[in-house]
Amino acid sequence: MNLAEGVQIVSFGILAAMMIGTALGVVLLPNIVHSAFLLAGVFVSISGLYILLNADFVAAAQILVYVGAVNVLILFAIMLVNKQENFAKLPGRLIRKVSTAVVCFGLFALLGTMVLVTPWSLDTTSPAVINTVVSLGEHFFSDYLLPFELASVLLLMAMVGAIILARRDLIPESVARQETVTTSLTLPERPRELATLSGNEQQD
Amino acid sequence: MFKILKQVQDYAQESWQAAKYIGQGLSVTFDHMQRRPITVQYPYEKLVPSERYRGRIHYEFDKCIACEVCVRVCPINLPVVDWEFDKKAKKKKLNHYSIDFGVCIFCGNCVEYCPTNCLSMTEEYELASYDRHELNYDNVALGRLPYKVTQDPMVTPLKEFAYLPQGEVEPHGLPSGAQRAGKRPEEILEEIEAAKPKEEVAS
Amino acid sequence: MNSGIDLQGSFIQTLKDFGLSTGLAKAIWVPLPMLLMIIGATVGVLVVVWLERKISAAAQQRIGPEYAGPLGVLQPVADGIKLVFKEDVIPAKADPWLFTMGPVLVVVPVFLSYLIVPFGQNLLVTDLNVGIFIWISLSSIAPIGLLMAGYASNNKYSLLGGLRAAAQSISYEIPLALSVLAIVMMSNSLSTIDIVEQQSGFGILGWNIWRQPVGFIIFWIAALAECERLPFDLPEAEEELVAGYQTEYSGMKFALFYLGSYVNLVLSALVFAILYLGGWEFFIPLDRLADWIGVAETTPWLQVVTASLGIIMTLIKAYFLVFIAILLRWTVPRVRIDQLLDLGWKFLLPVSLANLLITAALKLSFPVAFGG
Repeated sequence: MNLAEGVQIVSFGILAAMMIGTALGVVLLPNIVHSAFLLAGVFVSISGLYILLNADFVAAAQILVYVGAVNVLILFAIMLVNKQENFAKLPGRLIRKVSTAVVCFGLFALLGTMVLVTPWSLDTTSPAVINTVVSLGEHFFSDYLLPFELASVLLLMAMVGAIILARRDLIPESVARQETVTTSLTLPERPRELATLSGNEQQD
Repeated sequence: MFKILKQVQDYAQESWQAAKYIGQGLSVTFDHMQRRPITVQYPYEKLVPSERYRGRIHYEFDKCIACEVCVRVCPINLPVVDWEFDKKAKKKKLNHYSIDFGVCIFCGNCVEYCPTNCLSMTEEYELASYDRHELNYDNVALGRLPYKVTQDPMVTPLKEFAYLPQGEVEPHGLPSGAQRAGKRPEEILEEIEAAKPKEEVAS
Repeated sequence: MNSGIDLQGSFIQTLKDFGLSTGLAKAIWVPLPMLLMIIGATVGVLVVVWLERKISAAAQQRIGPEYAGPLGVLQPVADGIKLVFKEDVIPAKADPWLFTMGPVLVVVPVFLSYLIVPFGQNLLVTDLNVGIFIWISLSSIAPIGLLMAGYASNNKYSLLGGLRAAAQSISYEIPLALSVLAIVMMSNSLSTIDIVEQQSGFGILGWNIWRQPVGFIIFWIAALAECERLPFDLPEAEEELVAGYQTEYSGMKFALFYLGSYVNLVLSALVFAILYLGGWEFFIPLDRLADWIGVAETTPWLQVVTASLGIIMTLIKAYFLVFIAILLRWTVPRVRIDQLLDLGWKFLLPVSLANLLITAALKLSFPVAFGG
């Protein structure tokens, strides 16, 4: 299998370069929208690496969840919240920078020691293509049951929170009653939240 | 508990109804698929305009007496009648006459009221031009007669639906002498003429 | 089941007989199916564009394209050539990189998804374990491209169209995935081959459409919304948004969007045919018929006949669905954006969840009929 190995090495190189390049772009580019789009590149290259590791289901899930949901959400947030803000001078900028550097370096050191310490059981023989979905399911419902259930509870909590945020009628009245700036150009309209609130009351 | 059940039932019923209506709509669309196309391949085929078609207005300069009735009956006083009083002949002398077809709504009032019949409707409808000022026709342009669809060698004239023989729906490939259903104006006239002497004899 | 024709095996064997090494023979083989699939998808798009114009014309009592080739079949080719030679305009204040990347990101995943579309037992590019899941996850890349195109055009209509398109496609992906999940549950596999095989054996009676009467409707609605076909085409609703995210595009970049949308339509129709209409299966079980006539399954001519019939059946089913989509286009009026999201989240999502639960219950209670 000379050909397959060559293809693997070349694709690994391309994917690694792409991942590092796009990750650097995410951090360094001045335009936040460009960073958000490059983040998708990072996710896609990670999923490419998963494919190289014969983890096809994880790769597809990576694309579906991270590119299709998380990144689109980030982009939505950026594009819908178009707030111009001038950066004010922060007090104690040096301390902040130093602490950030310490945290980052600490994380890096932690990961580095983890990589070095872990006894990687490298399997040189290429495994026969197994049904990854089945083995993933087996792991989820046997030895990884607790993290799996915890993660699902976490997601459930997030979902309930999102629903409560989306249902305006559960938010107390004082939040909805905001001061509206009236200029000569605004139409005599009630604010949107109040209108929906009273509409709901009429329906009930 | 029963309230929820009823809600579910109503919901299901509404969805079923929506599906039914979409199905009905689809059957209508499907039915249209097997109908005859009504396309007229325009630059190559043209419909013969009907009688009383209100197309571009034709104007005869020599008949005009510059009375300006057309201007008065026009909803927007569109025709421009440029005349001066000829003191020697004690008559109006018409210099120019023009109608801007970019503004005209082809209502036909001017044709209706013209005392000397110098205005008339043609069957010309292809007035497109690159400049809207070209639509302002002067008396020379207004005096031109349009090219007839039936005489154009490049064009296949097609009869409109109302002018097809009885039971015929396809204007293509009609025999040359085919006439529309019902009596033609000449025939009606002839009948009236034929009926007249009898009445006279009877009286 | 017979294993059908092994094209790859025989091709590599032939090359080896010419004296090439195994690796080289495989390297020559590898790009062939992909190339064939890309060409096939593009030609399929040409056919669909022609069909769309002709059927739309018929539904409106017109004739449609007539002068470009017999019955106007060359009209899509003429359109394509026109778009290739058109000037490629990048607006002055647009973001040139993102503007160029947008259409590419929309088109590439759609073409990649053709990897898993089978036309026969061995007639597909790869039989992946995750099969149909790849299609769902790849189709979730498209909204990124749409957002990119919408943002980079530096145009309000484009931005609104892009946001709408992304919102629409992420909200309709959930019912789509849930209805696919019901099928996957019945066939115990994500692989498209297994999904078709699970429906085989009883001809038209064995197709999933009888076992998933609600699922296929949800799938079709969600697929139409994913393709931005007419009842759900509000990202490019011309009355309100000019052309949505395509407003500033022209020439080849616009052609990519156009191509992408039609390739996506064909792909959705093909996937629908695979999931619900038995893929390459004929209306009657062919192997039983062959047994009944007395022809062995391994007879070469029978295999060739079944393989070509399989391709034809898949295409017929897919194009029938395209026909339905075009009829729907001229029947159903466009929904508003709030109606669209209501339909997605308040109707399709609960119904598809209920469908999934009912399928699971039926699978447990009738394992014979619903795949144990």
